[in-house]
Amino acid sequence: MMKNNLLQTSAIIVALLGAMPTIALAAETSPSAAEVNQALLDRIARLETELGDLRELVQQSVSNAASAQETANNAEKTADNVQKTVKTVERLASKVAKSADSASDIQWHLVGYADAGFVASSRPGADSFVTGKFNPAFHFQYKDFFLYESELEFTTTADGETNIELEYSQFNIFLNDYATLVVGKYLSPIGQFQERLHPSWINKMQTAPAGFGHDGIQPSSDTGLQLRGAVPLGNTRLAYSFMVGNGPRTNIEGGVKVEGMGSDDNSNKSFGGRIGFFPVPYLELGGSYLNAKVNGYAGGPSAAHEGISGITSVTTGPTDATYELWGFDAAYTKGPLHGRFEYLNSTRDTLFSVTDVAPTGELLPQFGMEAWYGQVSYRLSGLGDSNLVKKLEPVIRYGEFRITGRDELSAENSQNRFNLGLNYWMAPTVVTKVGLEWRDYKDAGVQDDTRYQFQVSYGF
Amino acid sequence: MNINKKPLALMAIILSAGALIVTSSMSGNAALAAEEQADRPDPMLIVKGAKAWKENCGRCHNLRSPKELTDDEWDTSVTHMRVRANLAKKDTDAIRAFLKASN
Repeated sequence: MMKNNLLQTSAIIVALLGAMPTIALAAETSPSAAEVNQALLDRIARLETELGDLRELVQQSVSNAASAQETANNAEKTADNVQKTVKTVERLASKVAKSADSASDIQWHLVGYADAGFVASSRPGADSFVTGKFNPAFHFQYKDFFLYESELEFTTTADGETNIELEYSQFNIFLNDYATLVVGKYLSPIGQFQERLHPSWINKMQTAPAGFGHDGIQPSSDTGLQLRGAVPLGNTRLAYSFMVGNGPRTNIEGGVKVEGMGSDDNSNKSFGGRIGFFPVPYLELGGSYLNAKVNGYAGGPSAAHEGISGITSVTTGPTDATYELWGFDAAYTKGPLHGRFEYLNSTRDTLFSVTDVAPTGELLPQFGMEAWYGQVSYRLSGLGDSNLVKKLEPVIRYGEFRITGRDELSAENSQNRFNLGLNYWMAPTVVTKVGLEWRDYKDAGVQDDTRYQFQVSYGF
Repeated sequence: MNINKKPLALMAIILSAGALIVTSSMSGNAALAAEEQADRPDPMLIVKGAKAWKENCGRCHNLRSPKELTDDEWDTSVTHMRVRANLAKKDTDAIRAFLKASN
């Protein structure tokens, strides 16, 4: 029992002795109440400082927010201004566009063609470079109301002089979607070649078919009025060109001159035209007709040259005669294959007139002209891979021209003409042509002619 | 958390101003696009024009490249051909639309 008490007492003493350092350390590190209070006061002071800082920040933020609001308001105003500016720009653009439209009410365009070449002939001394032609054409358009167009032809004569001719000068007034009134000097709508195919960059040969060029049967131009256009017929259309003009004249050689006259030598106007029909899109069939009165001349050949009309001397026959021309044409133009055919026939009744061989006048018998040609060309664009071959186009043409009632004119012009050609298309409107032309004159006194022809032509 | 809100506010202002400008610009572009759409020819007109161009222009001469002339030049040139080739206005309008679309 005592032992137990002793043990208990010893354990307590040992425990107290063991706890002494800890108690001593605790006594050393535990803050006093004053220190704790001081620490709390310090902390409160730091918090107050931080609170002050925060208050300042809040005030700054409020200030910034106010500034931001002001800036946002300014930005909104700027955006409004930008929007107004955009609208203004749009209005200006619209005005500019309208102005441009207004400016484009009057549009013009210079086009035309030119050519040059060389001809060698079987006739002696006839090999020659040829200057060819320069044909500028002007198109002036005013809105959709009318188009004025004109073409000049510059050529150099054999003796070196420059010759200028007015090919056409016409106002095209668009009456409606299907009708145009043409006023002025126009290419004759009779047949196809003169009106559509004669420019050298379109004509697949170097020359016109016999009878279809100058001094031939086909009228080149006339001065007057035309009503022309197209009438829809289901999926196709009817093309029409009706004309009234000054008409042809008797020429000094006793034939008929059908090139556009600047004035009429009698009060009788020519009338006629052409109608074209398209049974399928690539086939055009056309028919032409022209009727006019022509007068004889009196006063000598020089008077006729000067265009003086009216019979003043004693005559032995009619002083005016009916001139009539009719014909038809066809064109098949599908892809690389183009085939064409034209036929024209004209007659002029008996007429009394002075001529270059009868200064006092003579009774001219009925005068007739007849011409036709057929032409086929094939562009080798679909054959092979060769770029050279693709640009080649062989052409063959045959035609005949006959004149009756005036032997002198018949001797000069009546002929069969056969052409072979090969064209090289450098571009769709730039062509180099080489060809052979055989002229078989029907008058025994006229030497036949074989021509080797080269021509370069540019349509612009 | 201590966040400096000034840059954010400025960014918001810039973004909103930009959005307004872009919106306004888009609205302008939309108007212009609508105008362009209105000016743009009917696609079927262009198709008809290509057909009419091939059938009619190739009847007498080679087909010129649409890029050979400017739009204004085509205007006058096609008007010239309306007379010369006896074409109806609807055909020349279609041909003109095709040439300009291909130019």
